[in-house]
Amino acid sequence: MISPDINLNREKIINAFHSTGDLVTYEFKTNSNIKIMAAYIEGFIDRDIFDNDILKPLILSLEDPKDIKRTIFISKIEESDSMEDIIYQLPNGKVALFIEDMTICYMVEISKWEKRSIEEPGSESVVRGPKEGFIEDISVNKVLIRRVLRNNNLVFEDYVFGKQTKTAVSLVYIKGIVNENVLEEVKKRLNTIDIDAILESEYIEELIEDSPRSIFATIGNVEKPDIVAAKILEGRVAILTDGTPHVLTIPKLYVEGLMTSEDYYLRPYYASFLRILRYTAMIVTVYLPGVFVALQLYHQEMIPTPLLISAAGAREGVPLPIVIEVFLLTLALELTKESGLRLPKNIGNTVSIVGALILGQAAVQAGIVSGLTVIVVSAAAISEFIIPELVQGIVIIRFIIILLGGMSGLYGVTCGFMIITTHMVSLDSFGIPYCWPIAPRNMEGLKKDTFIRTPIRKFIFRPEAIAKKNVRRQNRNRER
Amino acid sequence: MKKIIFLNILLILILFLTGCWDSKELNKLGISLIMGYDVENGKVLLTVGFINPASTQEGDMEGNLSVKYAQGTGNTILEAFRDITLKFDRRVFASHNKVIIFGEDFAKQGLVGHIDELMRDREQRETSYILIAKGAKAYDIMGVNPGLEQIPANYVLELIKNTNSNPKAMSVNFIEYIKHYYHNGHHPMTGIVEKREKEIINKSPDIGPTSEYELSIIGSAVFDRDKLVGYLNGNDTKALNFFLDKIKGGVITFHTPVSESSSDELSSVYIIKNKTKNDIEILDGRIILKTKVKLTSSMGEVIGNIDISKEENIKKMEEACSKAIEEALEAAVKKVQKEYKLDIFGFGIVFHRKYPSQWKNIESNWDEIFSEAEFQIEVDTNIIRTGLINTPINRIKVE
Repeated sequence: MISPDINLNREKIINAFHSTGDLVTYEFKTNSNIKIMAAYIEGFIDRDIFDNDILKPLILSLEDPKDIKRTIFISKIEESDSMEDIIYQLPNGKVALFIEDMTICYMVEISKWEKRSIEEPGSESVVRGPKEGFIEDISVNKVLIRRVLRNNNLVFEDYVFGKQTKTAVSLVYIKGIVNENVLEEVKKRLNTIDIDAILESEYIEELIEDSPRSIFATIGNVEKPDIVAAKILEGRVAILTDGTPHVLTIPKLYVEGLMTSEDYYLRPYYASFLRILRYTAMIVTVYLPGVFVALQLYHQEMIPTPLLISAAGAREGVPLPIVIEVFLLTLALELTKESGLRLPKNIGNTVSIVGALILGQAAVQAGIVSGLTVIVVSAAAISEFIIPELVQGIVIIRFIIILLGGMSGLYGVTCGFMIITTHMVSLDSFGIPYCWPIAPRNMEGLKKDTFIRTPIRKFIFRPEAIAKKNVRRQNRNRER
Repeated sequence: MKKIIFLNILLILILFLTGCWDSKELNKLGISLIMGYDVENGKVLLTVGFINPASTQEGDMEGNLSVKYAQGTGNTILEAFRDITLKFDRRVFASHNKVIIFGEDFAKQGLVGHIDELMRDREQRETSYILIAKGAKAYDIMGVNPGLEQIPANYVLELIKNTNSNPKAMSVNFIEYIKHYYHNGHHPMTGIVEKREKEIINKSPDIGPTSEYELSIIGSAVFDRDKLVGYLNGNDTKALNFFLDKIKGGVITFHTPVSESSSDELSSVYIIKNKTKNDIEILDGRIILKTKVKLTSSMGEVIGNIDISKEENIKKMEEACSKAIEEALEAAVKKVQKEYKLDIFGFGIVFHRKYPSQWKNIESNWDEIFSEAEFQIEVDTNIIRTGLINTPINRIKVE
């Protein structure tokens, strides 16, 4: 309830915010002697607009308190008569105007705060294609998506999660294309969220995903509006979270981790070559060190003779067993990677140089590791970097495969492969099989957009597993 | 739930229980590339050539020998192998063995009395090439390396592979030998290796005589089942390779068919492709061995007054070449029929295939029948290329 007495209201607000320092309550009188009190949070509003378009007209020309909407030049103005509502809205960049003798408060939205400018995201940079990425502000992100899809069917459904953070979250989809089952499921799971803080979209991801204990992420995250547009055009749902540039996309397929947006902006031949390269890199980075250990320990007869001789020469005088050697080197690689990532850029460079020199050069010369092992581990590392989306799973599985290869040779590596593959095909992402279109097999998907990227003119239908309605992408009279 | 946990534990145990029972670190292995078998004082003498991995490393300043040898003796091959373990620090790793050399004495005694281990052992490879050390012990041959290969075994291996361009030697691996050993209609053959004195051509005083010997694998060894009985020379081996359809290249030399037929001028062609088919025919109770050779070749050298740009002259060249092959093959068959009385050409297999019921009756004395059988040969040469020039260098220009 709002009292007619301004001072009482002011006390209520100040008490509600526990006399916080950034709450401003400003009292003034208009020329016609009406007492008005404005309350807002410092730094959340546009001071220029407040001074010129609210204060000035109010002081100069307000005569009747009920005429306030005719006096100030702001389009976003609401009336409110509940103190709780006002207290709830103030941290969203609104100004509350209390007028003497009125039990209604006017909420004017003139929010403005410092934002990062729109930049190219570091993890998804492209040579050709749009370079703008999402920022931390959800309303800007919405605009970025809307700018790609200027379409009345694009729907943003707004939610607020987090009892403390009150984070704005928005569900994005295209009505008429979205997979309704997935949408319903996402909404159902979102409604079960009851947490005090959402600091990053990972919080939402872990709260709603299918298999929280799996090593694989069954929800994708992207940083660029064109990719989000492409995903929701395939019938997916995206979740924007305020405070992070990472947008979740649901459902996620495993093969998405091996695609990039640039695949669709380059010539199909080169794009297909890159695809195949990425699939190869995925196998190399996960299995190469493990297979290397297995071959060296158990299956020397499978190595071509000249290679075996040079491998044996390289092993000469190395004190550690091969498993431990490969394991330690891979660990050292992760150390270098992580330390380079967290440090400021200039120091990060130093770390990588030191790491490369110590690991690569000095360790080999000192005879602690063999040169061949360094080559194998760095080949795995290089391959890892061309599929950044899958890194989290790859690193852990690689260690397991190395241990299995050291314990029981190719037999162990095969067992590891079987266990991982079985786990992967058993995963579901919101009702869509994780390994589609490989398992379950879908020829259309396999032929057109899995290992190779066919020309755009061949993309006549949206992916069968996800899009159920309005599946035709283009009408071609002659299917060439 | 309990069941699932139990099942998972079982699955994980499958991995761990196998353990590391056959794991072997690379720097604990002695990789052997060549093995030699001899008999001495009634015992098997085994010589193994091990790669010294340290010597292959860059910056190896100590000048390590690239190969080290170890010898072991025993009543059986396995015993000889185990004898080595107490003399050489690393375990013999035979999976990469490329060449097996049998000493002459060992081969004369018969191979199969000993070599069961080579087939039975998991590590031994059946694709190892077999060579017989002609007139020598196997360990005499091993270690001779006048070639550019760093490792003597690779030098021998490359020689064997070179039979693709000169079929005067045999490349027979272990499994081929065994295959022929089991068939009564085909006595096995193997390649031979011989140590020969080599002229020292490099006269530079500071180098000195680095190697006085070289190896030659020209020729082949004739076996009566598993016992060595004699050798064939290079030309007969070439003929034998024709019969076995193992010709992949090489050169045929013949008299140039010029009009004054007494000429001594020789021409040669090199073989591009060859297909030989052996056949058997029974005519009025007589057995006739038939061979059909279809050769595709290219002109290599033409010496003599002949214009090979003319179609009919090429025909003449082809006929002359065919005749040369016919003579060589016939001579080889005659020689083997007379000297060894053994079917080393595999006609018995053809007989077995064509007349399976009669084969059973004559199987035991096929070698006698073979050595008295008539031989017919038909050669079809096709010269498809003439090389860069048409006119022979020494042709008398008429114009």
